Amino acid sequence: MRRADQITGVIVLIFSVAVIEGSRRMPPSGTFGPGAGFLPFWLGAAMAILSIILLVNATREPAQASGRSPFPKGRAVLSILMTVGALAAFISLLETLGFLLSIALLTAFLLRVVEQEGWLMSATVAVANSAGLYVIFQMLLGVSLPKSIFGF
Amino acid sequence: MGIFDNILMGFGIALSWQNLLFCLIGTIYGTLIGVLPGIGPVVGVAILIPVTFGLNATTAIITMAGVYYGAMYGGSTTSILINVPGESASVVTCLDGYEMAKKGRAAPALGMAALASFIAGTLAVVLLTFIAPPLANVALSFGPPEYFALAFMGLTLVTSLAGESMVKGLMSGLFGLIVACVGVDAVSGEERFTFGFLSLLDGAGFISVAVGLFAVAEVLCNLEESMGQVFIKAKFSLRSLFPNLQDWKDSLAPIFRCSFMAFFLGNLPGAGATIASFLGYAMEKKLSKHPEKFGTGIIEGVAAPEAANNAAAGGSMVPLLALGIPSSGTSAVLLGALLVHGLKPGPLLFQSSPEFVWGLIASMYIANIMLLILNLPLVGLWASLLRVPYKILMPLIVTISAVGVFTTDNNIFDMWVMLVFGIIGYLMRKLKFPAAPVVLALVLGPLVERTLRQSLTISHGDITIFFTRPISAALITIALISLFAPLLRGVMDWRKRVVEIS
Repeated sequence: MRRADQITGVIVLIFSVAVIEGSRRMPPSGTFGPGAGFLPFWLGAAMAILSIILLVNATREPAQASGRSPFPKGRAVLSILMTVGALAAFISLLETLGFLLSIALLTAFLLRVVEQEGWLMSATVAVANSAGLYVIFQMLLGVSLPKSIFGF
Repeated sequence: MGIFDNILMGFGIALSWQNLLFCLIGTIYGTLIGVLPGIGPVVGVAILIPVTFGLNATTAIITMAGVYYGAMYGGSTTSILINVPGESASVVTCLDGYEMAKKGRAAPALGMAALASFIAGTLAVVLLTFIAPPLANVALSFGPPEYFALAFMGLTLVTSLAGESMVKGLMSGLFGLIVACVGVDAVSGEERFTFGFLSLLDGAGFISVAVGLFAVAEVLCNLEESMGQVFIKAKFSLRSLFPNLQDWKDSLAPIFRCSFMAFFLGNLPGAGATIASFLGYAMEKKLSKHPEKFGTGIIEGVAAPEAANNAAAGGSMVPLLALGIPSSGTSAVLLGALLVHGLKPGPLLFQSSPEFVWGLIASMYIANIMLLILNLPLVGLWASLLRVPYKILMPLIVTISAVGVFTTDNNIFDMWVMLVFGIIGYLMRKLKFPAAPVVLALVLGPLVERTLRQSLTISHGDITIFFTRPISAALITIALISLFAPLLRGVMDWRKRVVEIS
């Protein structure tokens, strides 16, 4: 955790500097009180101070105190990346493939590939989920869900 | 109108078929949310907001309040049966609840959890009925400095109490405030941090952020372990659920003590059901004649935190309705829901929409009764739901989150926001940064900024305005104490060590 905190401290510090920079580009405070950049500037400044405190605290910890990284290894990393990737693909393809197909594919992928369920279970739950959500949102609640370029 | 007239009017509204039906739906859904590990009340309420768009505001909020309470009731079921808290306010119930289950007393534990929750919840609504209106009156004299001080205190209390590291809690809160700045500045019309994205002009969208930070991040975290299936051995006949006379003798005083304590704790912006449940348990342990028995499976160990979390949930409605300041992550989302439906919580709400306020309060009484009925006979049903493997639930949670977020604005962009914050939420969890302060800060951000700027405009840039007005001075002092007290202790330790060395 010590190394992780150090890296986090540095990244947040960079982020805070970016926020401060962004706030200084905004118009300065005028006659009607603090301007748009007022709060972001001070938030960025406070965040920068805190990130330095985090960095200092992490560096002052003895090196062998907690050597393990908080992040998982192996299969878990793969599962996480696949899930994020699947969601990203889903969002990108939603307007092309339409709601019914996209949800079914996402559900099936998550079940089959990430959770490694059997084909039958994955397909069944995928179809049921897609239909169920469609009924709840489109039919019962009247939300208009995206249709595919093929028309359904 | 006297209080009793108001309550009668409230019941008139709450007892309409539509409101009763949706209250029931909310409480069932809320219990479900509480029972299912991996999805908590914050997400449950957030996902519901787009779903309730079509309803009128009163019905929508009644539903969501039902969800909030339901989650408090449902969370204890998994805590007792499988030692997995359904949500954070039920963590403490695991301690004695699961031990009781191991001793074969799962049924009375579940029964007492439901009954303690009912007594506490009802007490809380009664207190709410009598405290909220006068508080709203007092708050009518609040100006921008007082509101800023109140919001500031709420934020500092939540961020300093959340999680293990205060530095990280503060950073989460600041992050939420920065995200709240995204969009068009209300006062000057200037675009802030929008990077050219049209969809960001209205802000990041707190539903997308909340669902991402909680639901998606939770799913990603859970992928690391195989969640598998659970086995529950207890049997649930209706009669076995009722605690015996000895149980009642042991639990009654703790229930009442914890209810009062937790209700007033819930009133404070910053303290919510989770903190209340911990404090309730600790308090009862200190006051008990046999403190060493806590943790071995005694009924007070279940009754105390369960009473506390329900009373705090009720108590948190007071600042929400009377002041417009949420006191926890879930009530922050409720505040967001109110704003989405065009209601402005705060002292004026009691005057401008009395039917809404009293209808909501009346429905809370009804919700408590519904939940008692739901949780006693139906506990077997909830227990069997736990047999659904998490592997199947996970894709359902992912898809319903994505769809729910999409329907807020029919905008694909919102789902990207959800995904990004899902990744951020996962990283935060791994690096031990608490997520609740982000949501709280996101909802309070606009209020904080607006009142800060108004106050400084009134005082022509003079910061001392916050300290010359008594109420705001008191609130800010409390906030500053909570921020710097740990530091003071650190300095004192260091000095002691220096003295010892020399």
